[in-house]
Amino acid sequence: MVIQQIANGLVLGSLYALVALGLTIVYGVLRVLHVAHAGVFVLGAYAGLLVYVSSGSIVLCLAVAMLVCGFAGFLMYRFLYRPVLGRPALIPLIVSIGTFMFLEDLYRLVMGPYIKALPLKLSLPGLDLPFLRLTGQQLFIVGVTALLLLALWWLMKGTRLGLAWRASAQDMETAGAHGINTDVIVGLCFVIGSAIAAVAGIMVGSYYNQVYPSMGSVPAYKALAVIVLGGLGSVPGTVVAGLALGLAETLTMVWVGTILPREAIAFLVLILMLLVKPTGLLGRAS
Amino acid sequence: MRTAKLKVFVAVLCVLGIVLAMSGCGPKRPEVVKIGVYAPITGPAAADGLAATNAAQLAADKINEAGGINGTRVEILTYDDRFESASAVAVAHQAIERDGVVALVSGSYSTPTRAVAPIAQEAGIPHVAGYAVHPDVTAAGNYNFRNSFVGTVQGKAGAWVAINQMNAQKVCILMVDTDFGRILGETFQAECEAAGVQVLSADTYPYGEKDFSALMTKIKGLNPDLLYATGYYAEGAAIALAAKTAGLTCKVLGMEGMDSPMFLELGGEATEGWVITSNLNRDDASPVTQEFIEEYETQFGIQADMVAASTYDAVLIVCEAMRLGGFEPAAIRDAIAGLQNFQGATGLIQGFTAGGEVIKPVQVQIVEGGEFHYYAVVDDPAIITPPN
Repeated sequence: MVIQQIANGLVLGSLYALVALGLTIVYGVLRVLHVAHAGVFVLGAYAGLLVYVSSGSIVLCLAVAMLVCGFAGFLMYRFLYRPVLGRPALIPLIVSIGTFMFLEDLYRLVMGPYIKALPLKLSLPGLDLPFLRLTGQQLFIVGVTALLLLALWWLMKGTRLGLAWRASAQDMETAGAHGINTDVIVGLCFVIGSAIAAVAGIMVGSYYNQVYPSMGSVPAYKALAVIVLGGLGSVPGTVVAGLALGLAETLTMVWVGTILPREAIAFLVLILMLLVKPTGLLGRAS
Repeated sequence: MRTAKLKVFVAVLCVLGIVLAMSGCGPKRPEVVKIGVYAPITGPAAADGLAATNAAQLAADKINEAGGINGTRVEILTYDDRFESASAVAVAHQAIERDGVVALVSGSYSTPTRAVAPIAQEAGIPHVAGYAVHPDVTAAGNYNFRNSFVGTVQGKAGAWVAINQMNAQKVCILMVDTDFGRILGETFQAECEAAGVQVLSADTYPYGEKDFSALMTKIKGLNPDLLYATGYYAEGAAIALAAKTAGLTCKVLGMEGMDSPMFLELGGEATEGWVITSNLNRDDASPVTQEFIEEYETQFGIQADMVAASTYDAVLIVCEAMRLGGFEPAAIRDAIAGLQNFQGATGLIQGFTAGGEVIKPVQVQIVEGGEFHYYAVVDDPAIITPPN
């Protein structure tokens, strides 16, 4: 049973990591707390839902949702963040929170207040051992997270784009002076990060079989806790932190009981990290 | 003499005029009578808000088509409480003071309804709650009535079904951490323990929870023969899916929060075989129930659920009271309090207790082939009579 609970925690943690991964890339290069990332996550879930219902194809559903969200991410950067980039860090943060609230209500108006089902039909084999039982869908979630982690790692460490990303993250002005088009790099980060959010939205929506306008409100702050815990802008750190949070929530629920709601755990982690590292969140402003 | 005759003639005319004038407004029969229905039309419970307002309108249409209440047409005014106490208070004042409703019907949850109850009491306006379960709703005073089961009645009925119909020996309990979920779960637990049924675990989870994998693995390890789950349709569906994923094979008993087509849609095949306590029996032979289910589905394109049926009945109860007692709020209140054996969509309403609680059988439904069907009915007076 302990092994099963650890597996449960890892599946949940993979979902957290998926939501936070895109956010890390944006935070790493721009030092902006992109709360509206959770709004892109919901957009991904709805786009995936619409495509899946009309086509029945999982590949098409993922591809279209990633395209739609990638484009939405680009638009957000171009028209919302870029105009306020030179300002104090609070201003992009307020822009971001406002955008997120706007998006939530937009989804409610367009798609209705109801919870919609997203029953992806995955014909993947599951695992059924005496001590461990995982469905094909759970394995798929862990697999996709691992795959995205590896792909991003390669992108960051093994390509010129990654080099430019790291240079811009360290010092945007110096990177610009060395001939890197930082505007394009940041825009690309938004596109890639938002496309990953689309995958996260579809995974979360289909795992719980529920897609609804406010499904981003918990991930909005939980993803923040994950990227703070993961070391702000570190891709492997985010995945480790996501898995750790999933495990912590699951194991507390089993051993301590449900006295402490799971949402409180993410908050506790966030508060502890802020106490230990108070300059962490608003980064360069200080 | 002439003047005297003229005086008599004028006097007769006057009397005649007064009599005629009085007979005109005669035995007070207004053309239209207004009932205020509030529900969470927007906000997180919007699906229930829509079901409630649709059902209330359907009830009024049905009465008006049949000629109204002794010739008086029923008008439903709907208000959005947004699932909040503050908005509920505002719309209650608006309904009573500005719009002049003679009765209020709650198509909403406990939180808004318990905020409205004292306002209705103070204004002397009868207030019938469709499905709000909190004790404070009827505790606000004698103008408040409830057409759904108080938590303890449904919890007791659940335990009776678990023990006598589903033969449970070892049970696990999972309850949503709200008044509603806790009262049902705790009553269920006490009844089981009193009957010698082993309670292996009793866990709570926060409202809105989606991930039940850890709890389901824990429950599977305890190996119960029945799981009693309280919650609303979204949590219920998530529990059903997580139970299937974890390979939990025991019987599951839920409650009226899961009585919704959304539960069946979101939970899919995983809900098959679930038994729930509710107040709507889809297989009830009564024409009132069958007509309601049929007309609701035809008109709104969605299956009727507990919320719709309960709000429908709350409106019917108010209208029946008007038919019996007239259109004055105090008379309507007295007529509701005295109502006996009234056939509603949710079954035979035997009457109300002095505390304003309904007395009617608890319906037990089972999910078969993706639909709710009759499983059992609990009509033992010792179980279904509310404590006050």
